[in-house]
Amino acid sequence: MAQHEVEITISKTGEVKVHIKGVKGRACLEYAEWLSNIVGKVKDQKLTSEYYEPEVKSRINLHQQLNDGQ
Amino acid sequence: MSTVIVLTPVIIASWPTILAAVTGAATALGLVVKETVKQDIKQQQAVEQSVEIELSNSEVLAQNLASGKEVVVAKGDIEIKVGRDERGRCTVCAKGKGHTKAELKQIAEEFSRKMTQCFVYNRVATELKSKGFQMVNEEVMDDQSIRINVRRWVD
Repeated sequence: MAQHEVEITISKTGEVKVHIKGVKGRACLEYAEWLSNIVGKVKDQKLTSEYYEPEVKSRINLHQQLNDGQ
Repeated sequence: MSTVIVLTPVIIASWPTILAAVTGAATALGLVVKETVKQDIKQQQAVEQSVEIELSNSEVLAQNLASGKEVVVAKGDIEIKVGRDERGRCTVCAKGKGHTKAELKQIAEEFSRKMTQCFVYNRVATELKSKGFQMVNEEVMDDQSIRINVRRWVD
């Protein structure tokens, strides 16, 4: 089991800053894509050191849940 | 850390969803929802100044919104109408006696910002909950931003 944390800051203008923590490799991009689909357009994106660490094979499965929920 | 993204909100929603954001913004700014009415521009009094602004990146889904429908919130002599223009954009119109156009524009912009924040909050909170995220912390910061911390366990 891996813990994924997301810190979301919604500014008073509605702009959203998302900090995805504990997600290694390309899996974090799935979170980024999911959240950008919810909120709007990506204005800026920075990959941090953890992105380049070996990916733990975890099942994020956001899209599956998204489809199941519709 | 793995990634940090900054997102610009796009408001594309049905009228009930917009209405929820309007109500949230009105409550936060001390306004009360006065009425949900059909637009009747002829009833506007000539002595009142009014300023209308359009929310960029907004679209009210037409299938749930009867033409000309809008919601009115008020505080004192200020009235703010939120509706949908002919192009489907969400509009915010502030009016009130004894206020300059500049003041009304500022009021309309403040309301539209708060409405956008409420819209984004409602949407994000709903999606996070539906995906099984647990709320760890939620607070309103000194600069009026809302910070949400959530976590989720995956196999």
